[in-house]
Amino acid sequence: MSEQKTPSDLERGMKMLEYLEGGPWPSYVKELRKTKYPIEAYAEGLAKKYTPWLSGSFRVRYVFSGILARRSRDGKFVEIHFRTYAPAGRFYSTSYLRKVIEVAKKYGIELLELGGNTGALVMNMIAEKADEAVDAIRTIIGTDVGGSGDTFREFYACPGPALCEFALYDTLHAMDYVRSHPAIYRYLNTQMFPYKIKFKFSGCPMDCATANSRSDFALIGTWVGAPEVDQGLLRKMVEEGKINPKELVESCPSKAITWDEERKELRIDGSKCLKAMNCIRKAFPAIKPGKNRKIALLVGAHAQGHFGPKLARAVALLDSIEDVIPFATELINKYMELAPRRHRIGDMIIRRGFKVISEVADKTLPNKPRGTPSAHLRVSIAAVLTDDERKMYEDWSRSLVREYFGEG
Amino acid sequence: MGMSLAITPEPKDRMNKRIPVPFSTQLPEIIRNNYGRWIDRKFHGNGIIEHISETGDRIFTVKVGLPSNSRLSVDTLEKFVDIADKYGLGVVRSTRGMNLEFITDSLDKALKIKEEVEKLGFPVGGWGRSLWHITSCTAYLTCTTAVVDAPSITQVLYNHLKPYFTGEIELPAKLMIFVAGCPNVCGGTLAGDIVVVGHYGQAPKPDPERIKFCLPTSAEALKKVTPDVAAVCPVGAIKLFGKPDGTVGIEVDERKCIACSRCKNVCDYFDWDPNKIGVAIFAGGKTSNTGTGPRLPYKVIPWLPVNPPEYREVVAAVRKIVDIWRGEAKPGERLGDYIDRIGIDEFMSKLGVPRTRHNRCEEASWNFGVRQFITYM
Repeated sequence: MSEQKTPSDLERGMKMLEYLEGGPWPSYVKELRKTKYPIEAYAEGLAKKYTPWLSGSFRVRYVFSGILARRSRDGKFVEIHFRTYAPAGRFYSTSYLRKVIEVAKKYGIELLELGGNTGALVMNMIAEKADEAVDAIRTIIGTDVGGSGDTFREFYACPGPALCEFALYDTLHAMDYVRSHPAIYRYLNTQMFPYKIKFKFSGCPMDCATANSRSDFALIGTWVGAPEVDQGLLRKMVEEGKINPKELVESCPSKAITWDEERKELRIDGSKCLKAMNCIRKAFPAIKPGKNRKIALLVGAHAQGHFGPKLARAVALLDSIEDVIPFATELINKYMELAPRRHRIGDMIIRRGFKVISEVADKTLPNKPRGTPSAHLRVSIAAVLTDDERKMYEDWSRSLVREYFGEG
Repeated sequence: MGMSLAITPEPKDRMNKRIPVPFSTQLPEIIRNNYGRWIDRKFHGNGIIEHISETGDRIFTVKVGLPSNSRLSVDTLEKFVDIADKYGLGVVRSTRGMNLEFITDSLDKALKIKEEVEKLGFPVGGWGRSLWHITSCTAYLTCTTAVVDAPSITQVLYNHLKPYFTGEIELPAKLMIFVAGCPNVCGGTLAGDIVVVGHYGQAPKPDPERIKFCLPTSAEALKKVTPDVAAVCPVGAIKLFGKPDGTVGIEVDERKCIACSRCKNVCDYFDWDPNKIGVAIFAGGKTSNTGTGPRLPYKVIPWLPVNPPEYREVVAAVRKIVDIWRGEAKPGERLGDYIDRIGIDEFMSKLGVPRTRHNRCEEASWNFGVRQFITYM
């Protein structure tokens, strides 16, 4: 009897891919198979539990950001992808997408990452045609490659006034304004910063653009004082049973709401209101954000940086998006001057203290209401575990697997 | 499609980045007319929102779940584009959570879009009290620093949690899951309800052959500047030294290392044992100012083994967290708010996970996001 041959990593990997095609959710493996993506490299990596890619070197003349090249460890495969800037809010007209499809067919391997995490639309290209592909993206689609390396990453805005009744400022206009402002635009094709810089624009405190945790410059719509209450409409909605005023009072995280049962009036104490939007979401349009609208400017959030993940810290309340430009220009200059390589703005704040930001704000945003930034805890994402610790968690996970998958 | 490719590029022009077409050119007329004038919304099931304008106009948005990492072949995208032209307003929106929204002007057409995409195998849902999305980084698909493969983990999680997306099973509040292949957390944000992050679980070992590509050639150079590979270490665990033969040596102090993979970001030639890699699971973060406000999550499980392609350990842990929350949270209470109410210690004992120096989960008073402007509010 001959011994059963142990399957190679590639064979094991291809089996795994078959499993991943099987479930009820649309499978990315099925999508990959429809393209010229080198699926063998991926399969082998999956089986080995080891990423198959190493950084490749690849240049298109006069393009200094937005093109990423990989080569596989065994030298068999090359993978090139472009990050392309997206229209604000990532609204794509079908005519825009048809152009993307044309270019992806002609110069690419017919694979896209439609909603890249930076905000970009990512297109996988063919290395030999990369030069023409850049020009095709510029002239045919009408956008550009960019947003990788130590420069501005792709900007991101929530859909704002285009689709949402809660938008407190025009996030889409703001994103276009900042991205095309000469002070920002001049850095788009250079890699001059110590590390990347991100801008995110959220229309209201619910922060759908995750500006609070992911952007060096977070611009979040907010208001000052109490939400606006239309007592007549509210009374009507209460009578119709659409709103329970007692529930509004109880569920307010700030405890700022009182309900006058006699006069059927809802009062909100603006000095207590934390802008949690709880009542607004429940009783819109009877309760709306206040009229005194501001854009909250916060800085220094990121997950990837020298000292680990951080949330944004408050700088000032702006009246319009134009106010952010002098502040950003000044802070970016400071950042280039003070921060060591691979430190984000948040890391610079930890090393130098928040006074770096305060000084810039004093100079460029005088007379603006200023926030009181919170201190930050150090959160460690990863950890080096001992063998005993690993075993302890492995044993525990085994009992959990039994609970959900049975003894099998 | 007339693609007359008369590109006669002056390559230097590429220095001037071309800003994308203005967003207003992408919007259909009905949205341009009602821009900023929306006054109300209605839900039609879990995946269709009706927006009502003060002018009386209405639009309907249909949210469609995409494969992990929003990877689409041109073939599939073409089908979507045809649907958007036929039943929609000729516009789609790519969401932050890597899904796709179709926009149309009547409920009938919205239901037709739902029917058409479901025929292609794509689910509709993900609003209200449901699983909004599982966001993933690209990991082994294209990334050089990935430790574990996020798209495949995302795929199995979606396979198991699909009823929460489509609304067949209701959740207490919205749930957003993020999966990242390494501690850089490109798979979205760390401040998510449940975040799965791959990490080494061990100190990296320099590849003896090839680490030299990341080091200066002579020890003399060390006197002038610290090379990136040592400078990026936040805990000073990487030591560079001159060897007697004039070359540079490297050493990683395992006792200091926190496996953050910063060194791996700047140099490909670090090695690790694939049997020791794992994922950490975080719970209870959010960026929204609702409830008790934005916060970073607790690291509830510091390490779990990764076993592709089923990832049973990861799936079981995520489902356990969801089940605890689903069983006990009040309506509208996000995972983080629920954990705040019962206390993290209570939550950890319900989860039953062993507690070590890695998941102490100390409680802190949080005041983040726009709440830092409290004195002016």
